[in-house]
Amino acid sequence: MTRQKYLFCYLMVAPAMLITAALGIYPMLFSLWMSFVEYDLLRINEFGTPFVGLDNYVAVFSDPRFVQTLVNTIIFTVLAVAATLGFGLLLSQILNANYRGRTAMRMLVCVPWFVPPAVASAIWMWLLNTDRSPINFLLQDLGLISSNVRWLTDSATWGPFSIPMMSIVAVRVWNGLPFAVIFLLAALQSIPRSLYEAAEVDGASLIQKFWYVTLPMLRPVLAILITLLVIGGLGSFEINYIMTGGGPQNLTNIMAVYSYQQAFSFYRFDLASAASGVIFIMTGFVSIFYLRSQLKGVA
Amino acid sequence: MMTIAVPNTATRPKLWQRLSFANKTDLVTRILIIAITVALLFYILLPVYWMLKSSFQPNQEIRVLPPIWFPSEATAQPYTNANRLIPMWRYVLNSLFVSVTAAAISTVIACSASYVLARFRFPGATIILGLILLTNLIPAITRVFPIYFFIQDLGLLNSYAGLILAYVGFSLPFAVLMLRGYFISAAPPELEEAALIDGCSHFEAFWRVILPVCLPGIAAVAIFTFLNAWNDFLWASLLLNQGEMKTIQVGIGDFAQEGGGVQYVNAFMAACVVATIPALVVFVFVQRWLVGGLTAGSVKT
Repeated sequence: MTRQKYLFCYLMVAPAMLITAALGIYPMLFSLWMSFVEYDLLRINEFGTPFVGLDNYVAVFSDPRFVQTLVNTIIFTVLAVAATLGFGLLLSQILNANYRGRTAMRMLVCVPWFVPPAVASAIWMWLLNTDRSPINFLLQDLGLISSNVRWLTDSATWGPFSIPMMSIVAVRVWNGLPFAVIFLLAALQSIPRSLYEAAEVDGASLIQKFWYVTLPMLRPVLAILITLLVIGGLGSFEINYIMTGGGPQNLTNIMAVYSYQQAFSFYRFDLASAASGVIFIMTGFVSIFYLRSQLKGVA
Repeated sequence: MMTIAVPNTATRPKLWQRLSFANKTDLVTRILIIAITVALLFYILLPVYWMLKSSFQPNQEIRVLPPIWFPSEATAQPYTNANRLIPMWRYVLNSLFVSVTAAAISTVIACSASYVLARFRFPGATIILGLILLTNLIPAITRVFPIYFFIQDLGLLNSYAGLILAYVGFSLPFAVLMLRGYFISAAPPELEEAALIDGCSHFEAFWRVILPVCLPGIAAVAIFTFLNAWNDFLWASLLLNQGEMKTIQVGIGDFAQEGGGVQYVNAFMAACVVATIPALVVFVFVQRWLVGGLTAGSVKT
């Protein structure tokens, strides 16, 4: 009976396992291997793929553009995650409160979720067009700025921060916010009302209720959400690639775009793999904590 | 319990009416919260409004400065123009074909795997689940290049089959995890125990008892995998970037990068609307499952 059951289990899981192995695990390992050999498409026929140890990693880390890209990626991720969490916490509470028009509000907040990233990039490119941006005209009418903000092309910097980077973060947050809001809303709905009633009896203010009831209750869910957002941010690609291609002056370049360009513009698949290897190490590190929490109790 | 009052929509207070119940510090907090919420709503809705508005504006009006917020007339001209500049409807059909096929294949494969991963403990189950979780988490860019060469070696570059294969690989882990959560929460083990006692095999119990019960969840997963594929830009831009076979997302990405965006911006926005509509239509179907269904796969209850 048990043997028959196991056979059934393995047969059922085999197709999914085969595909995950062939299109998930194997390519990840292959990509890591590529980062330790020479894999230059322009030289591969003549020289093959000799093992070069850490040379590719040394090469990308001695490229100032890559170091800048790495810093950009971290700043992009931190800013996007922070803004998504802040806005998400606020909006999920608004969507959880009880008032007329709540359903309509939920629908409206979810709209950007269903705008594909490529389309989101396209809309914002038009919305942030220096000469024709309605936001520029609005800010001018309010007297906040005297000349048009060059949202995607201004190359002035404040340390690692720049206007184009902020614009890109705004697009990323816009596209990713509904997911965070719904994720938090589901968690908010599972907090027992009695906790709030008890806090009200003790005379807690709105902020105190948030700080001492909501936030502690959300902690496990927040940990998961932050993990997912950080991993998504570190591997983010479309918005930067379409909107700026990493420019101006590499200010909005992030690692996935760098990697893609090394591969398909310069045919240096070894350097590209080293860059994506850095993404792998960073996201893998974050994933371990997540995996441990998810697999607890399964084994 | 009969004594619990069900919140009645008609008696719900309006957002502003709740202000009057609050004490003084809360009043300030509430006003602040409402102000920020209004600003956030503007941020959330402006791009969508601006896309829709621009897509219906005639050529001469869209170039007017300062930009017109509320156009007086609407025209469908940009939509026909967009189709002249890029084979828009053809791209949409390509996207639909590829996404539907990939969603169907990954849902079928995910159903069987997630069922046994949800229900049975067998040697290796944890490792399999761990590998699937890992594949779902680690960003696609870390496996793009080998898959590109793999599809090239199969002779499937610039074919629908190659892209569908990549999408199945990309969507499957997500589908397995989400469905596993659904099977755990929505299908009690007693269901197939009864069937097994009646002499069904494990597979018959799964096929005749579990699947029909779980159809709504399976449909939701199929729709999410469809959306994954529909929204994708990275894989499509690599594996299928030539001629009329492109997906609509790649068409839009090319449109944006060729600078056609500024010159024919109303047509460009029309193409964007068209690329969003299928996802929005589908959204209407899944919104019931949004809160429960989506988190079931990723959050453990």
